[in-house]
Amino acid sequence: MNAPTRRRDTLGIACGAAAAAVMAAFVLLAVFLLGEARSVANPAFLLDAPSRAADRAGVGPALAGTLWLAMLTAALALPIGIGTAIYLEEYASRNRLAALVGSALAGLTGVPSVVYGVAGLALFVRGLGMGPSILAGGCTLAVLALPTVIVTSRVAIRAVPEEMRLAAYSLGATRWQVVRGEVLPAAAPGIVAGSCHALTRTIGEAAPLLVLGAAAFMTFAPHGPGDPLTSLPTRIFAWTTRSEQDFAALAAGAGIALLLVLLLVNLAALAVRRRMRGGAR
Amino acid sequence: MNAPSTRTEAPPVLAAEDLSVRFGPKTALTGVTLPVARGRVVSIIGPSASGKTTLLRAFNRLNELTPGVVTTGTVRFNGVDIHDEGVDPVEVRRRVGMVFQQATLFPKSVFDNVAFGPRASGYAGDLQELAEEVLTAVDLWSGAAGDLDAPALTLSAGQQQRLCIARTLALKPEVLLLDEPTSALDPAATARIESLIHALKRDYTVVLATHGRRQAARLSDMTAYLAGGELVEYGPTESLFTNPRDPRTESYLTGRIP
Repeated sequence: MNAPTRRRDTLGIACGAAAAAVMAAFVLLAVFLLGEARSVANPAFLLDAPSRAADRAGVGPALAGTLWLAMLTAALALPIGIGTAIYLEEYASRNRLAALVGSALAGLTGVPSVVYGVAGLALFVRGLGMGPSILAGGCTLAVLALPTVIVTSRVAIRAVPEEMRLAAYSLGATRWQVVRGEVLPAAAPGIVAGSCHALTRTIGEAAPLLVLGAAAFMTFAPHGPGDPLTSLPTRIFAWTTRSEQDFAALAAGAGIALLLVLLLVNLAALAVRRRMRGGAR
Repeated sequence: MNAPSTRTEAPPVLAAEDLSVRFGPKTALTGVTLPVARGRVVSIIGPSASGKTTLLRAFNRLNELTPGVVTTGTVRFNGVDIHDEGVDPVEVRRRVGMVFQQATLFPKSVFDNVAFGPRASGYAGDLQELAEEVLTAVDLWSGAAGDLDAPALTLSAGQQQRLCIARTLALKPEVLLLDEPTSALDPAATARIESLIHALKRDYTVVLATHGRRQAARLSDMTAYLAGGELVEYGPTESLFTNPRDPRTESYLTGRIP
């Protein structure tokens, strides 16, 4: 009938095709990963230690390492990062220094993760004498996650309408009451989403941990932050450098294990969001 | 420039003295001196960007939340300079309540909105009772908003603004600052707010910033005309409207200045 409708239809078809292509890519990815990992599909794989013999190897220590790293990174990066964002948005004066800090943080989000690894090697492994431990890995990943946590949290806090703050202040609320009672609940969905994104990106990193000196071969699961550093991504890397076909299956299986951990993190974020929304009512 | 003081003999509850405010390089108010007598309704009229909102926000120290603001001069509340070191801005805001142009309710229940201020100040009394009192005062107790658990944002625009007034009344303030409270409302809702302001006069001192010249004439005892951040004229509403002393006031009132 008229051009605008036809054009919108064309656009709709194009966008639909793009979405379908993305879906297909993900399905193919999953199919290949699962197909590759078929031979290791048993619960023991998640618990067993790696072995020179491919048929007895598992991701137990690496999985434990990644869980430790995820917990340490979250425990360090989230309070510090969200706290910094609150400070910069609600407390710090808007001067040149604040602007400088803001652009420095934005720049840091773009620094390659391997560079953070080099810095972590100098600071945590050697400088603070942590050695190539889970703790050094957690600290390095936390530093890597921080800029993203801060930047996304600041955006979420800034998106809270100024009128809401003014209304709360005009009703005799203290700054803490305004921030804790109004700003944070309103910004929470954005903060949680940003933090979750930063965390999942970070714990999937292999490069910085390899630079720190992740153990190439660990036969026992780390029991605490002081134990040697190992993780699923570095485990995957180690297996993919072997030429035998069996180890490719192991790498795929470890990849699936990593995805399961990330799913866990996302579910945790979802639970936090749901609880917060319940509390706001 | 000062009013003939037949009606302001009592010491003013609120007073701006040679007050100037600028935001960075932008001047919002210049040398404004305006005493507000207790129990009166004072209207502040003037075109957009004439400094009405800034003047109102100077009375409860809300301007200082804007980065880069510089305030000079004095604002006295019951004789005390509210910028004195010993004065807590939070305390000032509890005693000088404010309602904004747009209803700014929190995305919570009617009750939680009313209880916000009292809770923030650690009110020891019965919140339920207080809610009934202030919601009755704004004529929201019976009807849709009588449901205290209803989400505040489901109310009509006029009801929302009256809830905002109720929320401020729950602080038991001495002064109410109303910043163009009806400019976003239809005529019927405006009329209800106006009769509410008329009733509030008995218990509160009201400072009303308004775009509506006729609203100022209907509601206020005293009227101040602001233009370009300066107080052009301040006097009893009747004489200011019928016999303005400044030609600028006259051109504004006759509509030559929008």
